[in-house]
Amino acid sequence: MLNARQAPSPSAARYERRSIPVGAGIGLRFPHHKFVAETRPEVAWFEVHTENYMGGGTPLRYLENIRRDYPISLHGVGLSLGSAERLDRAHLKRVRDVAARIEPGLLSEHLSWSIAGGIYLADLLPLPMTEEALDVVCWHVDEVQDALGRKILAENPSSYLQFAHSTIPEWEFLRAVAERTGCGILCDVNNIYVSACNHGWDASAYLAALPKTAVEEIHLAGHAVKEINGRFLRIDDHGSRVSPEVWRLYEEALARFGCVPTLIEWDTNIPDFTVLQEEAFQAERALRWVEEHCHAQPA
Amino acid sequence: MPNLLETQHAFLRAIVTRDTVAVTEQIADGIFTPAERLDVYRNTFLSVLTNALRISFPAVHTLVGEEFFESAAQYFVEAEPPHCAYLNAYGAGFADFLAQFAPAAGLPYLADVARLEWAVNGALHAEDVPPLEAEALADIANVPPERVTFIPHPSVKLLLPDYPARKIWHAVIAEDDAALSAIDLSNGPEWLLIERGANGVEVTALAKSEWRFAYALCAGESLASAMNAVPDRNISLFLARHIAAGRFIGFRLSGYQEMTP
Repeated sequence: MLNARQAPSPSAARYERRSIPVGAGIGLRFPHHKFVAETRPEVAWFEVHTENYMGGGTPLRYLENIRRDYPISLHGVGLSLGSAERLDRAHLKRVRDVAARIEPGLLSEHLSWSIAGGIYLADLLPLPMTEEALDVVCWHVDEVQDALGRKILAENPSSYLQFAHSTIPEWEFLRAVAERTGCGILCDVNNIYVSACNHGWDASAYLAALPKTAVEEIHLAGHAVKEINGRFLRIDDHGSRVSPEVWRLYEEALARFGCVPTLIEWDTNIPDFTVLQEEAFQAERALRWVEEHCHAQPA
Repeated sequence: MPNLLETQHAFLRAIVTRDTVAVTEQIADGIFTPAERLDVYRNTFLSVLTNALRISFPAVHTLVGEEFFESAAQYFVEAEPPHCAYLNAYGAGFADFLAQFAPAAGLPYLADVARLEWAVNGALHAEDVPPLEAEALADIANVPPERVTFIPHPSVKLLLPDYPARKIWHAVIAEDDAALSAIDLSNGPEWLLIERGANGVEVTALAKSEWRFAYALCAGESLASAMNAVPDRNISLFLARHIAAGRFIGFRLSGYQEMTP
């Protein structure tokens, strides 16, 4: 016989249903929890890293509080969709538990891998773009969508190397994952720019290859330019304002995909909240301009 | 052509052990060398995990300084990389690692402080579960104590450091240099209970008997067995205090053989 009051059933809906609106959202990080919870700033939506809200305690309490008034998107880094091994089922359960508590409007992960030999390498690692890797990613995306009972979005990565035995361009690979699994695409415009610079790709051609209706979210972030012995590598460090080139590529993306919920990501050297709001405001202006001038509708 | 598993294992070796030979052959040519490219991923691996340790062990970090901490973290991360993507749970072995880390030998209390910080970290992230209410005591008042066991709240941890770890930890967190220098290292051991209460994580130094009572119950021993561990003590008071503090989330009653004539 067990005598213990149970926590509220996760299956009962706890919040007003809030889908992610077509507006500019902000990546919510711990330093801003208190400010957002207490002052309720004018922001269309927030996105958080799923892994930061696993387990109990204060972070989850803040997020639940904020969820009462704002749409929330969950963005994960730990599922390792591209691992040749089985998915970590304990981690999948943790993701499912956070999603059950928060009822997010969107849930996303990355087109990359992080786990091999049971070891988590704490980074989003590059995939060889092969038929085998495509099968593996589609297998895992199917598994995750089944386990969560919902569609997820797959984000294009930033990368610093390519494999010699890759046979499929990354933009075709991402398109194929979306077509085969029915998942959506999280188009990270900064990542396209960074990878295009690093590998000599045509960023516009990348955008043109993505199926319009599959793109359900856009990420914008800053990147660093690292000099290595006289050559320049772009590093996706999410530690600064969005660069002018990336704003231009974003406008191109909107012209192609129509207006899509857009997130401002800033993970390192986190600034005052007002700086994030300025970036969000700039994204809003671009969205409104496209809405008025292009009448661009998804096909 | 390597298959995906081979590529990923080669990459793993390059990142964790710096054995880059196998993966280098697989990387396409370009204006950067494979080593330069792999460095980006290796740096992220080290910095993300070092940062996770820095967040979980802030007092250790302050006691040894940034340079030493980074160096120790690098050894630890290579020796014991994480086995899952939930980094709040990364670092269980860091205290034991510090205990045998030769450069830290001059700080014999360091491992005890690390163990305390690990318990604090665990308490911070433990699952939310409602605690047992005081009325529960009425439910078990007439039950033989050998039939009763308690289920501890997931945030509760009990530690018995040889060194005065709580005093050191508290002085470091409070940035109280005067208190820190006044600590007598021979003033151990401490009987500590770590938990997450309504106001956050608390570290309490209990009297030995109250600690031993709590330790027995949290280890799943029956109430009778816990009482035996601390004879001549006010068990009702101990139990009432522990329940009032929300340290248990439930109890179990076991069956017992009735002796029939």
